Amino acid sequence: MHDVTYHAPTSLAEALRLLGNDPAHTRPLAGGTDLHLQMERGGNAWRHVVDLKRIAELAGIARNPDGGYTIGALTLAAEVESHVDLAADYPALAQGAACIGGPPIRNRATLGGNVCNASPAADSSPPLLALGARAVVAGAEGTRELPLADLWRGPRQTTLAPGELLTALRLPPPPVRGGSAFTRLTRSAMDIALVNAAAQVALDAQGHIAQAALALGAVAPVVLLVPQAAEAVRGRAWSAELAAEVARLASAAAQPIDDIRASADYRREMAGVLAARAMAQAVERARAAGGVATAGTSGAAGKSDKAGATGKATARQRPGRRGAP
Amino acid sequence: MKQPLRLTVNGQPTEALVSPGTSLLTFLRETCGLTGPKRGCEEGECGCCAVLLDGKLVDSCLIFALEAEGAEVLTVEGLRGDAAGRPDHLAPVQQAFAEAGASQCGFCMPGMLLATASLLERNPAPGDDEIRRAISGNLCRCTGYTPIVKAIRLAAALKRQG
Repeated sequence: MHDVTYHAPTSLAEALRLLGNDPAHTRPLAGGTDLHLQMERGGNAWRHVVDLKRIAELAGIARNPDGGYTIGALTLAAEVESHVDLAADYPALAQGAACIGGPPIRNRATLGGNVCNASPAADSSPPLLALGARAVVAGAEGTRELPLADLWRGPRQTTLAPGELLTALRLPPPPVRGGSAFTRLTRSAMDIALVNAAAQVALDAQGHIAQAALALGAVAPVVLLVPQAAEAVRGRAWSAELAAEVARLASAAAQPIDDIRASADYRREMAGVLAARAMAQAVERARAAGGVATAGTSGAAGKSDKAGATGKATARQRPGRRGAP
Repeated sequence: MKQPLRLTVNGQPTEALVSPGTSLLTFLRETCGLTGPKRGCEEGECGCCAVLLDGKLVDSCLIFALEAEGAEVLTVEGLRGDAAGRPDHLAPVQQAFAEAGASQCGFCMPGMLLATASLLERNPAPGDDEIRRAISGNLCRCTGYTPIVKAIRLAAALKRQG
């Protein structure tokens, strides 16, 4: 860490040129909340740090013409958490962002950094995956766009080529009569998630689930989509039986490990519980959004929405601390 | 190799040559001589090193000093001065913490005070949930937080009175 040179380019072109000069020894810097720890722990061969925060085009949340959103990679977790329209359209993402560390971390940590740190327990990742996010990547050769799941190779590993940068995350328009939710389990405040989950559903006019997505974190080397659960709920009305089936399929899809925080068995069991809760809350929000009448649950939906957006005292986590679960 | 840095610290324009690896925390403590920000966990967990960077509460241990180029940094030393503008008096936020007995060992206080200042800037009348959320990145090992929450309520009231 003694022979590092700090660069602060003001354009993407300049940043890509700096990254391309010596890709093996150059490290992009976003919020730095993970990078600083990695640097202090040593063992890296970085000679150049390229700070991306002065590049205006990489930050901010913009509405796309199709009703979706483009979120710049350098957008702060605090901005994602508090963006009124985004939180209304994608509550799961606002909830996830609100769980990254405490306020001083969220004033610094970026969405792109949380994604590129590639922690399987990152709290923005299950929401982004369940919401169908795509990654926009820039490199010397130009720009490419890929499904977010294709950006992660393993714990702390991305598929980005040396010299490439994640520039933005693109979200499709929110579905009609849609809802999303994020759930997370920790043992204590400020801890990394033992398991986290996000779900998105869209209901048809009859209130049946027209489409769904479920993502699980901290139960595999990368954040996972669970297409079996999405398939199982399609065309059906939400019920206790369906919740049990979602839980069973989520547990079956999980491939957790034992570590200091929890056993693999516990994680597998809780993956099911959290998956079912996330989907139940997503269904409630979709019902509230679509004005679909339900048997005594729509009132509770409003309340749980509020609690969800505020987060619980234990729902604090910084991005990908302390290694992979 | 050292690189040039220009920023404003507690209202003072400051220039220095710093090593790229130097954290903002180290710069403030060792170059500026401001020991308000404390070296606690150095992992962004405890918030003892928290400062306001362009008005935002951040952990100075997780920031390179060079990242603060052109920025305005406020440490707890910069909070001094009462509502009447007397610089040798405590700021209302500090007064409230003193009156509420919210400090025991005091190590978390600089971060707590700045978290409070930042909260009250955004929200002059926060509820207890908002208060607890605002200090959720600042650990206190002495008080159990109850006196701190009380102090922040009092600080809000003092500030509203002007």
